[in-house]
Amino acid sequence: MRALKLVGCFIRTSLQEEAAYRANFWISLFYSVLNLGSGVLGIVVLFGQVESVQGWTLPSTLALLGVYLCVTALRGLFIGPGLDSLAGMDGEIWSGTFDFTLLRPVNTQLLVSVRKWRLFSLADLLMAAAVLVTAVMMLGVTLTAWQVAAFILTLLAAVLILYAFLLAFAALVFWSPGVMFTWVFDGLFQLARYPMGMYPGWLQLVLTWVIPVGLITTVPAQALTGTISWAALAVSLGAALILVAAASILFRIGLRRYASASS
Amino acid sequence: MNLRSSWALVKGLWLSWLQYRSFFFILAFGWMIPPLIYMLVWYTAAGDQGLAGFTRGEFAAYYLVLILVNQITFAQTNWTVGDMIRTGQMNQILLRPIHPIMDAVAAEFAGKLVYLIFDVPIVALLALLLQPQMDFQALNGLLFIPALLMAWALRFFWGYWLALLAFWATRADALLTLQDTLMFLLAGQVAPVALLPGALQTAAIVLPFRSMVAFPVEVLTGRLNGTDLLTGFAIQAAWLAAAVILYRLVWTRGLRHYAAIGG
Repeated sequence: MRALKLVGCFIRTSLQEEAAYRANFWISLFYSVLNLGSGVLGIVVLFGQVESVQGWTLPSTLALLGVYLCVTALRGLFIGPGLDSLAGMDGEIWSGTFDFTLLRPVNTQLLVSVRKWRLFSLADLLMAAAVLVTAVMMLGVTLTAWQVAAFILTLLAAVLILYAFLLAFAALVFWSPGVMFTWVFDGLFQLARYPMGMYPGWLQLVLTWVIPVGLITTVPAQALTGTISWAALAVSLGAALILVAAASILFRIGLRRYASASS
Repeated sequence: MNLRSSWALVKGLWLSWLQYRSFFFILAFGWMIPPLIYMLVWYTAAGDQGLAGFTRGEFAAYYLVLILVNQITFAQTNWTVGDMIRTGQMNQILLRPIHPIMDAVAAEFAGKLVYLIFDVPIVALLALLLQPQMDFQALNGLLFIPALLMAWALRFFWGYWLALLAFWATRADALLTLQDTLMFLLAGQVAPVALLPGALQTAAIVLPFRSMVAFPVEVLTGRLNGTDLLTGFAIQAAWLAAAVILYRLVWTRGLRHYAAIGG
């Protein structure tokens, strides 16, 4: 209960902060539209030349882009800003101001995960939803309740997996401050814009077992556009729980290594 | 032009950048990912029988050359010069007894060496994995050199004049993001220009972006015939001249407008 109240407070203060920079809204909107446009055009260009690639057609690939945009919007909404201020460039671990965060009488992991919100990302989320709706309409199928449920569950698992990775990479900064682990992950995460099946076999193995980018976008898109097996659903949810637990443990071990910096 | 001081600038920057090489390697990694994604997607889409006049191996060759050309021509000062104007660091550079653009040129040479140390081994490894094919001719190899140099100069001056808009507007970087999106769509990254649908293809040929990356790649991989080559070089030369004129204009006007914030 107390945690929820705190989240409410954080959202309110973030809104006040953002409202101070109103011109930024238009610039952010411009960036989002560019991002959406280049994503959609990339797919349109590809399927202008070919009917389907490894079973993926224009509508199903578009649905996957919708999932990608949705997951990245949720990341931008609260996970990203919070962890960035911790472990990003000039973050708290680097500058030593993390001392003050540690002193707060709240679970540190919860605090760093939800303390900063970028409410503009709600606009990104709307655009992502529009892409998903368009894709489903282009597919011309009526969704069953099972499909919708499977989609929501796999999407939830996707956000948890993404959170686990970002938390783990943020925790690694306790060991070597200054290394931008998250940037490396961001590079690899861009591969999630296209279905796993479109990559060569060796890369599919890496993206399934090492950095499970496939679970983040390909599986939810499959849940929406076709039917996925119980097994895939179970693997997705199981992986999410295991990864979040592992990342939390890593974060706790990292916390113990923190020895403050000049302050 | 003072050769010795220019050389000292290059050497100084190069040594200081090598010190932070992991940071620059991560940047280079990030820039490499978008062309890499489209290489793999087209590679899979081409299958065994090829697609739109490209075999699988030709797609691999096209994109591997593109990754290198994109890195060699990448205009990093595009972003940093704007920041220097906004923060007032430009003051120091203006005081030096050497033209300020030399600082950007030195950063180009120093940076390219560091980035290529990272890129070349990866491209070589990918070449081993994907087995690129191309019909190499000595003439194309010779023509590639001026095409690459002009592409670099065009991208450099184009990026520089856009960055100099920071003399007037604080958020000029929105224009740079628009430029990045156009580069992605029209400079042969999302697909070889020949594969773009009608209107996009015309835009790609008329606007300067193809001349900055895709044109040298098409020259080297032997995808252009006599007239295409001539018009390509003519368009490239025309845009280069325009970029240099714009740079001179914006520089002299902007300098008068510069208020030298900070110290």
